[in-house]
Amino acid sequence: MDEKAIREGLRGWIIDRAGATPDALPSDQQAILDDGLLSSLDIVEFILFIEDLREEEVDIEAIEPEVFNNIDSLVEAFFPDAKSVSPA
Amino acid sequence: MSTIPVPATESTRSLRSGFLRSTEAHPDRIAIEVAGTQLTYRELHAEAASLAATLVAHDVRPDGAAGGLTAVFGQRSVATFIGILGALFRGDGYVPLNPTFPNDRTQSMLVRSGCRAIVVDEGATKLLGEVLDGIDDSLVLIFPESEDVSELADAFPSHRVLGRQDLAPASDWKPEPVDPNALAYLLFTSGSTGIPKGVMVAHRNVNAFLDSMAERYAVTPEDRFSQTFELTFDLSVFDLFLAWECGARVCIPTQAQKMLPAKYIQDSEITIWFSVPSTGVLMSKLRMLKPDHYPSLRWSLFCGEALPAEIVEAWVDAAPNSTIENLYGPTELTIACTLYRWDPATSREDCEMGLVPIGEPYPGMEVLVVDEALEPVPAGETGELLMTGSQLTPGYWNDAEKTNAAFLVPPGQDRLFYRTGDRVRSALGDRPMVYLGRMDNQIKIQGYRVELGEIEAAMREEAGVEVAIALGWPETAAGADSVVVFISDAKADLAALTARGKARLPAYMAPREVRHIDTFPLNSNGKVDRGALKALLSAD
Repeated sequence: MDEKAIREGLRGWIIDRAGATPDALPSDQQAILDDGLLSSLDIVEFILFIEDLREEEVDIEAIEPEVFNNIDSLVEAFFPDAKSVSPA
Repeated sequence: MSTIPVPATESTRSLRSGFLRSTEAHPDRIAIEVAGTQLTYRELHAEAASLAATLVAHDVRPDGAAGGLTAVFGQRSVATFIGILGALFRGDGYVPLNPTFPNDRTQSMLVRSGCRAIVVDEGATKLLGEVLDGIDDSLVLIFPESEDVSELADAFPSHRVLGRQDLAPASDWKPEPVDPNALAYLLFTSGSTGIPKGVMVAHRNVNAFLDSMAERYAVTPEDRFSQTFELTFDLSVFDLFLAWECGARVCIPTQAQKMLPAKYIQDSEITIWFSVPSTGVLMSKLRMLKPDHYPSLRWSLFCGEALPAEIVEAWVDAAPNSTIENLYGPTELTIACTLYRWDPATSREDCEMGLVPIGEPYPGMEVLVVDEALEPVPAGETGELLMTGSQLTPGYWNDAEKTNAAFLVPPGQDRLFYRTGDRVRSALGDRPMVYLGRMDNQIKIQGYRVELGEIEAAMREEAGVEVAIALGWPETAAGADSVVVFISDAKADLAALTARGKARLPAYMAPREVRHIDTFPLNSNGKVDRGALKALLSAD
């Protein structure tokens, strides 16, 4: 899966979970926790979704809380290999 | 049980007293840690005193009133905790308002509480316009983090806007005695009629609770408390005020840290952990309960919903130096009022339906398990749990009808008891009291108390239908993960209704999904058969 599809997948999941419209997440730099789009109530399903996208388990002990800041930081932390494909 | 002494500066004991005493004893110890910022007792005291002096200088209490209420609109910020302590220093109770709640709900709580002053943190400031929309009374708005409030003053011309530079010097604060019967805090909980209920908690109630806890857990200034609860959840009072009673440190996780509780425990070197069981479930699902992962923990406490034994067993291995207790209690009985200590050798046998018992009442509290006529049932039998004692709160804010319904004198008794609405099996010999479920349609989601009736009322209104049925789904051992709502309107835009539910209700109450059903199944009493609706969900 290329980076564009990953970003769209993450964006779609977050917007859907928040019950929001796409304009609630106008950029991949927007804060997703501080702006209330995602909360700790969502963490288990969100990690499982990321594992589905990655097709492998997340090493939960290796991640820092800051990876949940925005979509850019999620992609960088969980999909480092996808960076080789330019996003649209 | 010993009673904690009143500090030299106080003539009566109130919720602030422990903090004041710890400030005298340990001024340079860390009282709170928030997102990398640490405040000592001395520093936090100075900030709270300054805020309290400001509240006095801009006195907004009704004429002659003592012991008013101040609202605190914020979350996980230094300003929020200054707001709480500042209100208590002033002699007021505090009313926490949660920025993650829908603004309409926050406005309703603000208006109903009658607060005339609000302390607002930076994160909540952008929401204030909608929260204050339509409020005619002039309020005092205090922004302790903002140096320049000129734009805010322009935005809210009918209110008095105060920034950091407008705060009175801390030295202006002169502590006044606080009536132990006055309110320490007012918390709004889910209400079955669609309107949240304001639970009044008096200083004497919460001090009785803190006395029990301080003695039981032998807290020292070296301890570090977790703080996993929203301030609108009364369990947060345990973390803050038990730590401050004993000169300990409270470690406030950021939103991001809350996503990864394992790292938070390790990085903050937490010694006293307190969370809802759902957090333990979450940690188990995310493979965070590995053996010996949390050696710093010496107490692990769970409260707010039913505690699955399998989570405790995993926790025992993950936190080998920790003693685990299951606490139980509704807000109306002040945070928690019964507890059960887990013994790895014997406790499995005490569990029922895989759930840990709720155990014995706190010192000063008394249990009565009754049948439908409110008559006591024999020991070891099932019934509704009623309780009374020093933690029995005064009732619901401005709602005598609901207060009289829930706080009553049962037949043959001579004191008020609170009807918990919880079904329990009473203790018999060595067998401790166990929680069996609710008597009504209240459920727990991630520890939050949720009246399904409140969700149904909101969704009936949104959908313009006469009947909406909400179910906790999927069900978990501790309650439910979320809510599904059924309506009978083939033309309804279900996705739009779901979105409106999310906009109107707090995240933990908002329906994950709204479904259409042609005809509601009915039981033999002619009521909607909720079991049949659950069977439909199970079949998916």
